[in-house]
Amino acid sequence: MARLPHGRVLAAGIAVVLALAGCGAGGEPAGPPGGGKGLEKSTIKVGALPIPDPVSLHLALAKGYFAEEGLTVEPVTITGGAAALPQIESGALDISQTNYVSTFMAVSRGKKIKLVADMYQAAPGAFTIMVPKDSPITTVADLKGRTVLVNNLRNIATLAVATRLRAAGLSETDVRFAEKPFPEMGNAIAAGQADAGWITEPFITANKGLGFRTLADTMTGPTAELPIAGWMATDEWTRKHPRTLAAFQRAIAKAQRLASSDRKEIEAILPTYTKIDARTAAAITLGTYPSRLDAARLKKVADLMLEYKYLTSPIDVQSVIAAPPGG
Amino acid sequence: MIGARALRGAAGVAGFLAAGELVIRFGLGADLVFPPPSAVLAGAVSLLADGGFLAGAAATLTNWALGLLTAIAVAVPAGVLLGALPPVERAVMPVLEFLRPIPSVAIIPLAILLIPVDELMKVSVIVYAAVWPILINTLYGMHDVDPLAKDSLRSFGFGAAAVLARVSLPSAAPFIATGVRIAAGVALVLAVSAELLAGGAAGIGVYVLQASGGNRTDLIMAATLWAGVFGVLANLALLAGERRLFRWHRVRAGALAS
Repeated sequence: MARLPHGRVLAAGIAVVLALAGCGAGGEPAGPPGGGKGLEKSTIKVGALPIPDPVSLHLALAKGYFAEEGLTVEPVTITGGAAALPQIESGALDISQTNYVSTFMAVSRGKKIKLVADMYQAAPGAFTIMVPKDSPITTVADLKGRTVLVNNLRNIATLAVATRLRAAGLSETDVRFAEKPFPEMGNAIAAGQADAGWITEPFITANKGLGFRTLADTMTGPTAELPIAGWMATDEWTRKHPRTLAAFQRAIAKAQRLASSDRKEIEAILPTYTKIDARTAAAITLGTYPSRLDAARLKKVADLMLEYKYLTSPIDVQSVIAAPPGG
Repeated sequence: MIGARALRGAAGVAGFLAAGELVIRFGLGADLVFPPPSAVLAGAVSLLADGGFLAGAAATLTNWALGLLTAIAVAVPAGVLLGALPPVERAVMPVLEFLRPIPSVAIIPLAILLIPVDELMKVSVIVYAAVWPILINTLYGMHDVDPLAKDSLRSFGFGAAAVLARVSLPSAAPFIATGVRIAAGVALVLAVSAELLAGGAAGIGVYVLQASGGNRTDLIMAATLWAGVFGVLANLALLAGERRLFRWHRVRAGALAS
């Protein structure tokens, strides 16, 4: 009788070990892979920011586009495209949102990453320079000697503002750039810490409510329809998981087409994965959601980066793209 | 007495909140936007019905508890061992004294790079931060053991293990308990900081990131308020535990003396 509990404990222990071993085997592709569609990996972690850009991820989840492909996607909140780079390199994330300026700078530093799908492209009014209502600044030329807030230095924000400065006869050394997260820009400018800010949604709408006005749209002329954000993975990941990647690309492209065709779909899903409420979602200015990666369009970003010395030598944009088979 | 103290404390909190409300509503001017305490409190209540926040709080508190327990499991034996073996302590201390002042938050980017499993990364940085207060307090506790008591036991023929179990550990226990309580606060700071820096699937810090992206300062403050409440509750629980432990010690010490 005294041996019985030990026997039970032993049996339970063996069961736990076997269960753990089973889990381990289930996580790795062994024999016929999961999903029944020949995917190398049927569950992937995808990093994205809680902003309107990666709406296709959440549309594809809500509409079952990933499930149709036999793919289980776990969305993970990231803090930025550049910050997510070590997470795809370490394997904490399979795929992540990135912005193209960060990506091309990383590629020029020798990082082995691939763009796997397009996400977000600028539209008029989606990225603007804003000033308070009583500001003496009325034209971009008035920014000379002033402080302009950006969310990140040496990235898309400073590049976009630099194109406006050049159009106004100034250079980027004629203003001081300072870093500030979007939610804090309005207060910082109102408190006199800075004179203007490069702002995107939903903060453009929020600051308009406080009486801020738009000094200039930074997505016109050389930056009109500038590609902003896309999905990235490591080169190694794309080579090891071609079918998983293709499944992800098909689902995302389908969701991008839905987002492009019906703004109501975007407005309905925004409050579910961001803290943007339905009223704000209906009011904000959004960019566009291209459904395929196009080297010719992305080259515009690389060319601007070279022109403004964000890159020291040209990069081959086509080589950074892991295009889906047949398109 | 305790009733009067609690009343004064409550009056202090209420006065502080009322002053904050007045300053934010009338003192700041229309240009500055900051949610007044009433909006933050309303937000904090609304979070109790927010599934995303509740899942996040559960994830953060799980990481916090796992990290703290692991830190105790690592730091207490290490502190006892170092305290019992002075030559080893002298050899190891320079390395520890170098590692200890490094702000724990500064190792989060390194941890993101090195540890591919998100939860493991977060628990690891919590363990790293929480180990120090427990280790140092255990060491102090071991140094503080009455040498006469140890010698007495030895002269009665007790071995090293018995001396450790009967004198050193009970004597060091209150120090260890204080170390654990300090570490609990540090661990919560790291649990939320790791989420703010690394993001994640769920967490109080992840919720703050989402609220920030949606321009909801009230929800940022509300989530932060809950993090503070969890810290206060943990501190109170551990303090109560320490008091019990001390009483047990006092009784035991009294019994031995009589």
